[in-house]
Amino acid sequence: MAKLPTPQMLVSSRPAFPDKAWLDTKPEFAPGSYCYPAKKETMELLHMPNPHDWDPAAEDWNLPDNWEKILCDAFEERLEKHRSLKLFMDICVRCGACADKCHFFLGTNDPKNMPVLRAELLRSLYRRDHAMLGRLLGKRVGARSWDKNVVKELFYYAYQCTECRRCSLFCPYGIDTAEITAIVRELLHEVGLGIHWIMDPVKNCSFTGNHLGIQPHSFKEIVEMLADDCETVTGIRPKTPFNEKGHEILFITPSGDVFADPGIYTFMGYLLLFHELDLDYTFSTYASEGGNFGSFTTFNMAKKLNAKMYAEAERLGVKWILGGECGHMWRVINQYMATYNGPAPSNMQTPVSPYTGTVFANAASTKMVHIAEFTADLIHHGKLNLDPSRNDHIITTFHDSCNPARAMGLLDEPRYVLKAVCNNFVEMPENTIREQTFCCGAGSGLNTEEIMELRMRSGMPRGNALRYVQQKFGVNHMACVCAIDRATLPPLANYWAPGVTVSGLHELVANALVMKGEAKRTMDLRQEDLPNVTDDDDAAQAQGEGQ
Amino acid sequence: MKAIAVFRNHKEELVRLWTEAVFNTYPFETTGFLRTKKDPFGNPVADMTREAAAALYDAVAGENVDIETTRNALDRFIKLRAVQKFTPSQGLGVFSLMKPLLRKHVMPELVIQKKLADYLEAESRLDSLTLLAFDLYVKDREVLAQSRITEIRNQYAQLARWAQKLNAASPLAVDDE
Ligand code: SF4
Ligand code: SF4
Repeated sequence: MAKLPTPQMLVSSRPAFPDKAWLDTKPEFAPGSYCYPAKKETMELLHMPNPHDWDPAAEDWNLPDNWEKILCDAFEERLEKHRSLKLFMDICVRCGACADKCHFFLGTNDPKNMPVLRAELLRSLYRRDHAMLGRLLGKRVGARSWDKNVVKELFYYAYQCTECRRCSLFCPYGIDTAEITAIVRELLHEVGLGIHWIMDPVKNCSFTGNHLGIQPHSFKEIVEMLADDCETVTGIRPKTPFNEKGHEILFITPSGDVFADPGIYTFMGYLLLFHELDLDYTFSTYASEGGNFGSFTTFNMAKKLNAKMYAEAERLGVKWILGGECGHMWRVINQYMATYNGPAPSNMQTPVSPYTGTVFANAASTKMVHIAEFTADLIHHGKLNLDPSRNDHIITTFHDSCNPARAMGLLDEPRYVLKAVCNNFVEMPENTIREQTFCCGAGSGLNTEEIMELRMRSGMPRGNALRYVQQKFGVNHMACVCAIDRATLPPLANYWAPGVTVSGLHELVANALVMKGEAKRTMDLRQEDLPNVTDDDDAAQAQGEGQ
Repeated sequence: MKAIAVFRNHKEELVRLWTEAVFNTYPFETTGFLRTKKDPFGNPVADMTREAAAALYDAVAGENVDIETTRNALDRFIKLRAVQKFTPSQGLGVFSLMKPLLRKHVMPELVIQKKLADYLEAESRLDSLTLLAFDLYVKDREVLAQSRITEIRNQYAQLARWAQKLNAASPLAVDDE
C-alpha cells in the first residue's frame, strides 16, 4: 500500500526559512501574490526606459543586457540626489522597533515583510559598494551583489509595501521605509519593470486627464448623470460647472469618484454641498484626477501628473484649489508639490473660506484645502443646516486613510464632520486609528483584483479591528476620506466583517444636509429607502391636498 | 473521574501545544513574535489562533457549547488560513494536529480508566469540526473569488450606466425583446 503523508508531514512543509539564511531564500511567484506586469506599449507611450514583455512567474524576465550597470548607476544617482536615502541606508541600528508594525508582516508572517528587512534588501546592495566594511568583508556583514534573483526579490517586496509609513512612526530615527520602497520601484522602472494597474492609469492620466482615459465630453456627461441622480433624491439638480474661467475655486478630486461604486455617492455629496453653498467654483477636465498614480512609479512621473493642477489653476484664473477626499493626492501635495511644481501661480492666494472668513494659513504654500477642513469649518460656524437623524440607521466608525493621517495630520476634522452628520459614532481600538492607523492593505497602486488574496492578508489587521467593533458595538458602517479606500475597503469588510458598508464622508454629509427648497427625503444618495421616514408628513400633506 | 474532567485537566496544556503547533507552520523567524506579544490588534494572528484553539478544544472535549458559538470562534481563524500562502491541506491540516496531541496527553489516562469509547467519541468530534472548518474554508474562498468580479464591476459602474444610456438613446439601439 502506498504510504500517505501524515497530517504533521503535510502541514510541516513550511517555507524553508530555517534551512537557509533569510537573505538566501527566494520569493515564490504564486498566483494571487503578484501584480500583472505593465504592457510594453504602455511603457513605450510613456517613454519609460527599457520597455519589454515579461512575466513575473517566468524564470527569465528579459532584462536588458546591461541591467546590472543600469541598476548600479541608477542607485548611485538616487543616493546622490536624495540625502534622506543615504541616511536611511546608513543609520538603521536594527533595533527591530518597526518589525511588527507592518500590516503585510502581520498578515503574511513573512520575515521579509518586516520593514527593517524590506529595507535590508536594498541596504545589502548598498553595503557592497558604499560601506567600507561591506567592501572588505562582503557577505559576513550582510553585503551582497546584484543578481537576477535579487531583482526579482526587490520587485516582490516593493509591491508588498503600500508605502503607508506606519513603520516610520515607530522608528526612533524616523527611517521612512515607504521612501525606500518608492526608490526601489524607481530603480525597477529603470530596467523596464512596472505593473499594469499602476502604469495603465498613469498612461490614461497623461493623455486624457482621468485614470480610465475617458474623453472630456464623456467625462462631463457622466458627471451630469450624477447631477440627475441628485435631483431624483433631493428634487434639486446641482450645477456642474466645467472648465469655466474666472471662478474663485477649482475643485479637484480623484476620478475614481466619478466612475466607481461607491465613490460616486461621495461625488454626489460634493455636488449637493457646493450647490447649497452656491460655491463659486469650476471643475476641470484636464485636471480631473487628483490621485497621482505617478507617485507609485517615479518622482518625475509624479511631478508631471501633479503639474496639471497648477497649470489649470493658472489658466482658469482661480484663487485657490479645493481638493476632494483622496489619500496619496494629499501626500504628494503636502510633501512634494512645492518642490515638484512650486511656487503656486501668481494668480493664486492663501485660501479663505468665502462663508466664514477663515484663513487656511496651513495652505499658504500649496493654496490647496482639503474638503474635510473646509466642511468642518462650515459646520463649526453653523453654516450648514444638518439633520443627522437621517443617518440614524447607521452606526459608523472612521478609517483613517494612511496618507491624510500620517502625511498631513488630518485626524480631527473628518471626525468632527462625521459626528455632526451621524448620531452613532464608534472608534476602532486605539492602536489601529489616527497616526497608528492600519492601511486598507492595497494602497500605492496595489488595489488590483489579481492580488485579492494578498490584499485580504495585508488588510487583515484593519479588517480585524473593524470586526471587533462590529461584534462589540454593532458597527455597520465605515467612513473614510480616500478614493482608494472606497474601492478597497468594501471587499475587505465583506471578507472580515460582512455586513459593514463603506462610504466617503461627504456622502453622509449630503444625506444629512437640509437643503433650501428640497423635496422631502425618502431615500439616501444610493436611492435606498431611508428607514426612519415617518408617514406623518406624507399623510398630512396628502390631507392638505385633499382639502 | 468522568472523561470530561480528564479533558478539562488537560485544557490549558493542549490549547498551548496546539497553538504552538500552528505557530510552527509559519517561518521560523516569526514564531517568537507570535508567541510573545499578547495585544489582540498588534498581534492579530496569535489572537485568532488562541481563540480558535480554546473553542476547538472545548468542542472536542464535549463541553456543552452550541455549534454557532464554535463556528463564530473558528470563523476568523479559518478566514486567515484561507488567504495565507498555504495549500488547502496546509491551511486546514492544522486541525489534524490536535489528534497526536490528544493521543499523547489524554488517551493514556482514559485507557487506564477504561474509557476508550469516550476518547474515541472526542476524536470523532474533532473529525466533525474539521468538516465544519472545511465548509467555512470553501465559503471564504468563494467570497474571495466573487470579490474579484464585484470589484471589476464596481470600478466601471458609472461608466456602464453611461454606456447603457448612450445605447438606449442611439437610433441603432436594438430592442432586447
Ligand atoms: S510603509 Fe507601510 S507597508 Fe511599507 S514597510 Fe512600512 S508599514 Fe509596511
Ligand atoms: S525601527 Fe528604525 S532603526 Fe530600528 S530597525 Fe526599524 S528602521 Fe532600523
